[in-house]
Parts: sequence; structure tokens; C-alpha cells
Amino acid sequence: MSDSEEHHFESKADAGASKTYPQQAGTIRKNGYIVIKNRPCKVVEVSTSKTGKHGHAKCHFVGIDIFNGKKLEDIVPSSHNCDVPHVDRTDYQLIDISEDGFVSLLTESGNTKDDLKLPADETLNAQIKNGFGEEGKDMILTVMSAMGEEQICAVKEIGGK
Amino acid sequence: MQGFPGGAPDPQQLQATMLAIEQACSLIQVHMNPSEAEKVISSLHSSLMPYQACRFILETSHVPNARFQAAGAIGDAAVREWGILSDDNKRSLIAYCLNYVMEHASSPEGYVQAKVSAVAARLLKRGWVDFPDQEKSAIFFEVEHSIRGIHGPNRQFAAINFVEALVSEFSPATASAMGLPKEFHEQCEWTLEVKFMKDFYCWAQAAVFNAADSILSGNASIDEEKACSAAFRLMFQILSWSFKYNVEHANSETKIDSGLRSDAINLKKFERSLVKPGSMWSDILISSGHTTWVLNFYTTARQKYSYDPLWFDSPIAASCRQLIVQLCSLAGSVFPNDSGDAHINHLMHILSAVVLWIEPPDVIASSIRNGASESEFLDGCHALLSIASFTTSLLFDNLLKSIRHYGTINLLSALTSEAVKSFVDNQNEEETWGSDALDISLEIWNVILGDFDADKSPMSVDGAIAASNLFKIIVESHLKAAADSAFEDTDDAEYFHVSVSKRDEQLALYAQIARSAADTTIPFLAQLFSERFARLSQTNGENDPTQTLEELYWLLLITSHVLTDSGEGETLLIPEALQAGFPNVVEVAQHPVVTLSWSIINFSRQCLDPGIRARYFSPRLMEAVIWFLARWVATYLVPLDVSRGQVSRAEIDNVDKHGFQHSRKVLNSFAWENNQGELVLDFVVLISMVALTTYQGENELQTLICQKLLATVVRRKHTCTFIVQLDSWRDLTRAFASGRSLFSLSGRLQRSLAETLACAASCIKDPEASVQYLKDLMGPVAGCLVENASRSDLKSVAQKADVVFMVCCLLERLRGAARATQPRTQKVLFEMGHTVMNSLLTLLEVYKNQSAVIYMILKFVVDFVDGQAVFLDSNETSVLVNFCLRLLQIYSSHNIGKVMLSLSSSLRNELQAEKYKDLRALLRLLTNICSKDLVGFLSDSSIEGSQDIAEVIYVGLDIVTPLISLDLLKYPKLSRDYFALVSHLLEVYPEKVANLNNDAFARIIGSLEFGLCNQDSDVVERCLTAVNALASYHFKERLGGRGGLSSQLMESEGSNGTLQESISSHFLRLMLQLLLFEDFRMELAGSAADALLPLLLCEHGLYQGLVQELLEKQQNPTVKSRLAMAFHNLTNSNNLSSLLDRPNRQRFRKNLRAFLGDISGFMQIK
Repeated sequence: MSDSEEHHFESKADAGASKTYPQQAGTIRKNGYIVIKNRPCKVVEVSTSKTGKHGHAKCHFVGIDIFNGKKLEDIVPSSHNCDVPHVDRTDYQLIDISEDGFVSLLTESGNTKDDLKLPADETLNAQIKNGFGEEGKDMILTVMSAMGEEQICAVKEIGGK
Repeated sequence: MQGFPGGAPDPQQLQATMLAIEQACSLIQVHMNPSEAEKVISSLHSSLMPYQACRFILETSHVPNARFQAAGAIGDAAVREWGILSDDNKRSLIAYCLNYVMEHASSPEGYVQAKVSAVAARLLKRGWVDFPDQEKSAIFFEVEHSIRGIHGPNRQFAAINFVEALVSEFSPATASAMGLPKEFHEQCEWTLEVKFMKDFYCWAQAAVFNAADSILSGNASIDEEKACSAAFRLMFQILSWSFKYNVEHANSETKIDSGLRSDAINLKKFERSLVKPGSMWSDILISSGHTTWVLNFYTTARQKYSYDPLWFDSPIAASCRQLIVQLCSLAGSVFPNDSGDAHINHLMHILSAVVLWIEPPDVIASSIRNGASESEFLDGCHALLSIASFTTSLLFDNLLKSIRHYGTINLLSALTSEAVKSFVDNQNEEETWGSDALDISLEIWNVILGDFDADKSPMSVDGAIAASNLFKIIVESHLKAAADSAFEDTDDAEYFHVSVSKRDEQLALYAQIARSAADTTIPFLAQLFSERFARLSQTNGENDPTQTLEELYWLLLITSHVLTDSGEGETLLIPEALQAGFPNVVEVAQHPVVTLSWSIINFSRQCLDPGIRARYFSPRLMEAVIWFLARWVATYLVPLDVSRGQVSRAEIDNVDKHGFQHSRKVLNSFAWENNQGELVLDFVVLISMVALTTYQGENELQTLICQKLLATVVRRKHTCTFIVQLDSWRDLTRAFASGRSLFSLSGRLQRSLAETLACAASCIKDPEASVQYLKDLMGPVAGCLVENASRSDLKSVAQKADVVFMVCCLLERLRGAARATQPRTQKVLFEMGHTVMNSLLTLLEVYKNQSAVIYMILKFVVDFVDGQAVFLDSNETSVLVNFCLRLLQIYSSHNIGKVMLSLSSSLRNELQAEKYKDLRALLRLLTNICSKDLVGFLSDSSIEGSQDIAEVIYVGLDIVTPLISLDLLKYPKLSRDYFALVSHLLEVYPEKVANLNNDAFARIIGSLEFGLCNQDSDVVERCLTAVNALASYHFKERLGGRGGLSSQLMESEGSNGTLQESISSHFLRLMLQLLLFEDFRMELAGSAADALLPLLLCEHGLYQGLVQELLEKQQNPTVKSRLAMAFHNLTNSNNLSSLLDRPNRQRFRKNLRAFLGDISGFMQIK
């Protein structure tokens, strides 16, 4: 069976060096991720068109920067490759909130991670602070990371005291 | 004024009210604080006896909007306070409004006058039954005088306006609400139609008649013209009334022989219906020469004003033409019961006048292009369409022959040519007269050719020539347009698919014209193709072939339409017109359809050569080729046995028509001769492979391959059995199973490809081979997923984009295969699903933060359960159920109570949309699992198995119900899914519901209540089923001496505040409310009866009480006794017993239908 290759995941465990992966533009769908102007984006709109009626298809992407919410657009021939960011989300338990808004998180290996700030949004900010500080609940924070940036993107309470 | 309601007015207060209203009106106009202003105005509408204030405003205010509001307030208040107004009051209000419009007839604010007229009409209708006849006559006496023009044109106009308002108030579709039963409205409708309508028409006729001379001599004042056009409009409106109380002649044979259609077509597309006023109207419409008079009037006027291009769009010209078009639609017993002569005469008269509007088409079209008005031309087309809908094509053609030396079809052909040219020239502009005229004229062709029945009325030779010429012009204009537009960019924006379906509709109508003259049009198409093939092979890379490619693209589209029907979801047949169209062709090689087909297919074959492909076969041309192939294969690769059987039977029947039958036989069998069929199928697979691998990123093309071409050949058994034996097919499946090339397809396409490939397994005759085929196909996919999910370094690589992409691809493929589950392939596919179950749970854990993957897993399970549920035995069921339980638990542990944070609102919306999709998938999953138990009643499902299912469902419900809010249920798709689940659930596990905790129970019941009042009848039906299930369960439990649902109480609004009551009484109240007072849809009566019967049986005492209460509330003794009778019959007729067996349910269904029919007249209020 020399002609049959097995489908292995291509990434090596140590491929962390690469922050993106090339994928054919035609296969990127709404709700997927894409790099536009060197920013990781979530695709909110895809439309296709042709260059001249008998030319090749192009994809028109509208993406929203997953960190700052800005809208970005790009046009790529659909047979070409686009960069797709590796978007990772990791859960940490919240162990402390400092005065200046930095949080202290417990990693799986038992170390702490102290380089993240609370989200800017006031109400969510308050929700985390109250839940953690005043009601004394255990909270899990989800941190999203892509292309070297990180941000808190979700909270979940796991029981209170 | 005597009898005007309301006490003596206080001038200061009146002034203050007026100021307040005026201010509110001007605030609304500049859009400042509109809600506050609306409140002020609505307080006037709802205040007690506001008549003096309104009158004061109407008479003194200088703000027209304030007068408008005041008029509306009179109407609202009077209808509300009708009961407390004295007879004098009512009369004087109507008289006041009428006087007001008459006196202010020359006021420039027409809308205020129209509103006051409408209020007068509304109040007159409100009192219609109470007022004695002489009072109405007195009112109409005045109105008639005014309409006849005795008080001058302004009052004439105002009076006509009032009658217009009256007609629209009495017509059920436009009537305003009055809070009265349906019977009242029906009675008003009846008396107006039978006693007044004809008089109104005569008055309008007289008004026009009196004004005609001065208009035709050019001496008419503006006011006179205005009144005259209003009269035309009124006549049109009266003829648009849907006449109900007339008697129709029986259809006579002679009438059909005359060429009139027995079944006149309703032209829904252009919102036109037949006008059947009945024999009563014969004298004024037909025998009096009214139509002729109107036609002459218009013809004379258009001659007189021909110097003025604006006249054709003037109100009087437009309304007169509108009336003429409406007169075309007259039908039924208004014509004498003769052999149709009167009707044909009528149509001929109209045609002879209308023909001036549209003839000669080329001259008129060019003057329109130079800026003349197109409305007359379009109205002419409309008239022609109405005429065509009454006549056979032969009669239609002959109508014109009495005044011209050619037939109507000739004229139509010329007219359509002009429309096509103009349409093609202005394709990029929206709404042009060309596209309107083309729409109408193609519809006319559709009407006359749809009637074309080879035996009854063959198309005349002239007609066929006209059609053939027209088709040539159509093709030439479109080819020219195609060549001209070849270099434009295409944008498939949102409306792309809409415009494609619109284009297809148009092409199908063109094709119909082509088929009516197939013997000339098909060779013509063949010739066009060969010219273009030759041109391509001559270019040799020197000239740009783009224009030729675009021409070929269009030719392929139109040829597909001519040779094949679209027939979505039907078995396609070779079009009858083509089978019958070539009686003289006996040689296969000479049959035009055959030569055309092979020339296109042979041309397409060249795309397999890489060099030629790169030069000519652009993605767009490939799309057309694929589309043509799909339709051609589905139509012409006729199942062998069918085609043989058909022909042999036909040969026995018609020996004398031998040549004719032979040409049919040729058409039905040529595709399989000399192994051609197999070669074509092989080519289908090869071209698919080429298009999937070498046209990277061309989604449109690849979608056509996966969802149209391959799906078509696999769906048909006779083509599928051939195709699975081909080497090329084996290559395709191998490439899919273990190559990498097909991973470049988008996920959706991988899914449909997997589905198609897996479907083909059921056409492999040998069962073992079929199993092996599927194992070879899906084994590697499942294996890959398992292997990778069990990798030790999964956690560290899982979130890489390429890994996510690969996982999604594999899941899509599995899902596609799961959708292809069929009885023969079910076992293998279950095995496939079984092997990946654990891996899926691992992935669900790993990808808890990748919503796309989660959704894909859920969707796979949904489709898997859906396909498998009916087949599984108890062991397999418990495997599946355990898996689903684990899946739900993991899903809920990660998703419930999680709050997503995001800076951008659009990202947050996206997240919500994803959650919504998850929720729907979960609902579907639960419903599918539930359906297992529904069928499980029939099989030997063991008790433990079904216990498991119930548990899954309740874990699922626990996840789902808190997430479902009444707001979410407003989304139709979600609410359908949800109620499907709830009704399933209550039918299968009512006993579980009894044990639910109060919160969960209340949630379900609350949503049922919401659903019962839903607009969507599917949802209501589901809820009724659910209520039926609940109540039946309760009834049976109680019969067996158990508690049933008695422990579950409901808070409900009783007559004396809230009270706690049982579920059954709660729903009984609700159902009675629904049936008696809401506009209940009769199609739901069956399910309503099923739900109501067990409720009645459970709560007999309460039911009697409620009935008594209802009866006592009725003031009116007749209504009371009718209602009592209806209730009595509901429970006592037809020997209704107190059981829930089938016959008894049937009887109750009958009773409830009768009951609803009885009461709807007087209980439903509008």
C-alpha cells in the first residue's frame, strides 16, 4: 500500500515555534480563524467572486480581531493559502486579584502565572471581583492565546463556599 | 347639529385640547419625543365622548394632521361607545362626517378627507344591521345625487371617495376591527354585494358618462377629470370584489368546443383572479355595450391626446386602462349560457382596442427607449395575458385573425422579441420595462404552451414558425450579451443564488418556447455549438477565447433546459415535446437530440486532457458542463427495462403510428447503445476526480460535483449499479479513503462526498462486497481519528490550527457517512461509530474551548443516532445510550454556568450564535434518541435499555431547559425542535414527567402554554399532542386508582384571582379559551379534539362549571341558546362514551369539528 498515506497530524510536539499554519483559502469558513494584516481574527463573513467571468475564484474575508475586536478585511485567491493562527484556550484556577488589577492564576504544574490583567469591561470585571472576593467562590478563568498575545476570555464558577 | 353626542362644550377646554393635539402632531412630524406625543394622541382616541373636541378640531384646526387624528378618534370612540350612543347620536355622527367631506370637498389635504370618508363608512357599517332601510336609502340618495354630478365635480369626487371607502370597509380582507362576530361581517358583505354593488357601479358609470364629452372635447376642468378618474377607479375596485353570492352555469360541452378553456387558469403570479359577478350583472356589463363604450372612450381619448406624452401616465388614462384589463378577466355566468360566443366576442372586442397599445412592437419599443411612457404597453401585455388564460392556443391565435392577416401568436412573438432585446440591453439595471414586459410575455407563452396538448390543439404551423423565430432572436440576443459581458467580474453576493434561480426560471420558459418548435430549434442549437467548438480549436492560444467560453456557458445552460426538465426530487422523464416532436426521424444517427447530446459530451471529454483543460476549461465553463451532465444523465440514461417495456407496450397499442413510436423508442434507448451509457458514467467519475483535485478552491464547481452530479448518479439505482463496478470509481474511493488530495476540499463538501460514496454501497449486489467496500472507505477515516485521539502528546498539539482542521475534516466525513445509513449498510456504519465513540469523548474534553469542533461532534452524533436508532437491538442501544449520556455529561460540565467575556459586541454575538446552534443540535439529539423508544414499543427492547434512554433524556433536559427562554422560543427553527422534543417526550414518558421537580415541571408546562398560542401551526399541533399525552396519562392513572399528575399544581388566573389547580383543569381552561375566543385554525381541530377529550373526562365537574359560566355571561338570548345547543351536541351526540379508545376519539373529533363550525360564526370577533 505504497500509495496510501496515513493521515497523521502534521504538527510535531515541538512545533510551538510556528504561530500559524497555512490553509487553502477556499476551505476557511465563517467562524473559523484567519490572520489578516498580521492579526489573529475570527472570520465573520466569507464571500467569493471571480476575476472576470472565466477567471479563478477569490475569497473575500471579513474578520474581527479576537483581542481588540477591530474589523479587518482581506481578499485572497481561493486556491492560495492563508495563515491560520493557532488559537489556544487554557483554563486556570484564580487564586488572587492584586490591587492594580493583575490576577494570579494557578497552572497545571502548580506554578503561578501573574502576568494577566482583569478584562477592561467594568461589569465583567466586577463580576469576577465580587464572585471571587466577596462571595468567596472558586473561579476558573479561561485564557485565550494566539500569536504571542494572551487575554482572559471566560469565567466559570465552580461551587461557592 | 341635532343629536350630536357629548354635552355642551366648554370653549376653553376645546381650545386646550386642540392645542395639545396640534402640538403632538407637529412633534411627531419632526420626530421629537414621539412616544410622548403618541400618548397624547391616543388619549384622545380613548377618552370618553371625545366627539365635541374632535368636531372642534376638524372645523377649526389649521394643522391637517390634527384633523386627521380627530377623525380617527371619532371612529374609534364611536365603535367603542356604540352601545351607549342613542340612535340620534349615531345618525348624526355619520351625517356629520358625510357633510364634512362634502363641504370640504375642495380641500387640498386629500388624506384628511379620505380619513373622514373612511370613518363615515366604518360607522355606517357598524350600524348596518340596526338602521332601518329607509335611513340607509336616504343616505345613499344623497350620495347618488352627488356622484351623478348634480352638486359639481368636487362633491362628486368626495362622494365617489366615500363609496370607495365603503366598499373596502365591507370587503373582508380590508375591513377594520369592530369587536363583532364573524356573522355580522358576513351579513354586511352579503347585503352590500346583492343589494348595492350594482347600483354603485351604475352611478360610477353615469359619472364617467356625463364627463366623457367634456373630456373628449378637451374642455374638462381639472376637478372634472379628477372625479372621472375616481369613478373609473371605483368601477375597477368593484370589479375586484370577490363575488360570492352568484350562481354559475354548469360547464357545457359546446363551450369547450368553442375554444374557451374549461379550467381558466388563475394567474397568481401577477395577482390576478377571475371576476365572476354572476348573471345579475349581465345587463350592465355585457348586453348594454358597456365594455365597448369604455374601449371607445379610451381609444378616442388616446387619439385626441396623442400629442401629449404625459397623458398616458395621467390618472384618468391609467385608471381607465386598469378597468379595461380587469374587464378582460370577466368570466362565468355574467355571460349568457350560450356556446361561449358572447365571451369570445367580448375578448375580441377588447383585443381589437388593446392591440393599438402594443402594435407594432418594434416601433413602440423604440419610442419607449426614447423616453415615451411604457405603462400603456405593459397594460396591453397584461390584457393579452388575461385573454390567453381563457382561451386555447388555437382560439388565442385566431382572435386577431379577424382584423389582421396574421395570428395573435405572431404578434406575441414580435412583442416578446422586443422585450428580450430590451431586457438583455439593460440587464444590469434594476427594474426596467423590458424585464417587466418579458416576465409577462413569457407567462403568456407559458399559459398557451402549457395548454399545448399534442392531440387536442396542435400548435399551428404559423405558430410554430413564430416560436422558432422568437427562439432564434432570444438565443442571438443572449449570446451577444454573453460575449459583451465576458470580461466583467462576477460577484456572488447574498442575492447570487436568488438571481440564479430567477435566471433558471426564465431559461425554463425560453426552453418551453424552443420545445414547441423542436424540429428547427434543436438543429439550430447544434449548429451554434459546432460553430463555437470550431472557433475554440482554431484559436490555438493566439486569441483570447473568453468571449467564446461565455457564449458556450450560456448555450450549455439553455440547452440543458431545452433537453431536460429540472424536476427537483422527481424521476425525470424525457420531455414529452421532444419525444413527440420528431415523428419522421427513424435513424438514431440523424435524431437531432441525439447528435446534439453527443456533440456536447464529446466536447466535454476534452477537459480530461491537461493541455486543453488549461486552455479552455475555465472553472465557470466546467460548472456549466457538470450541470449539463448531471441533468442529462438523470434524464437520458433511462432505466433499461423501463425504456424497453414502455416501447414494446406502445408498439402493440399503436401499430399504425409506427414511425411516430419508433422515434420515441430511439430517444429512450440511444444513450445505452454500443456501451455509450457505461462510457458516459465512466466519464462522469473521471471528470469529477479532475474537478475535485485540479480546480483548487473553486467551491461552486466542487459543490456541483459533490451535491449534484455524483449525488444524481448514485441516487438512481440503475446508474449506481453500473458506476460501482468501474475502475475509475474505485480510484475515487481509494483517493478519498487514504489519499491526501481530497483534504483540500472544504469541510461541507467532504461531508457530502462521504455521504455520496457511502450511499453507493447499497447498490453493490453482493452483501459481503458491499460491507468490504464500506470498510475500505470509512475504516481509514475512523482509524485515523482513533489513532490520533489516543496519542500521548495530544494535549500539546491539539490546539494547533492544522490539527483542528484535520479533526474537523475527519468529523465531517464521519458525519457524511452516518447520513448515508441505509438498512443494508447500517451494521457496518454502527461499527464505525462504535470504534470512534471513546475518541469522540476524548476530543470533546480536549476541545472544550473550540466551539467549532464541539459543534461538529454534536452534529455527528445527531446524524448517527438519527440513522441508527430504528435498527438497533437492546445491546447496541445500551452502548449508544451510554455514550450519549457521557457526551451530555461532559458537555454540560464544560458549558453550563460559563460566562464568555469579549470586548467586541460582534464577537459576543457570534458566541451566542454558536451556543444557539449547540442548543439546537442537543435538542435534535434528544429527539432522535427519544424516537428510538417510540419505535421500541414494537420491538423487543428490554426494560433496562429503555430505562437508560429515559435517563439520558432527563440529563439532557436538565441541560437544555434552563437554557431555553421564551425569547429563544421565538426563533422558529429552535421552537420547532424544542416542541418536537417535548411532545415526543410526553408521549413516551408521561410517568417521568409526573416525577419531575416543580421547577422543571413548571418550565415545561410554561413553554407548552406559550406554544399553544404560537403562530406556527406545526408548533401548536405538537403542543396539542403533548397536552393530549399528559391528560391521557393522568386519566388512565386515575382510572387505575393512582394519583397521576394530581401532585403537580399550577397557579392559574381563575375567576377570583390566582388559585392553585391541577394541570388538567389548567389546560382545560386554556383549551376552551383557545377554541372559543381565538381565531382557531380548522386544520388543527383533530389534534385539539384529541387533547380536549381526556381533559373533559378528567375534569368533568369543572367543565360543566365553565360552560355554565360562559352561558351566563351571554347577554343575547339567541346566542345563548345557540351556544348551549352547541355545547350540548359536543358532548352528547354520536354516542360519545367516557373512554379513551380510538372509536371514541374519532367520534369526538367529529363532534368538535361540528362544534367549531357552529360557533365560529358568532363567537369569533373582529
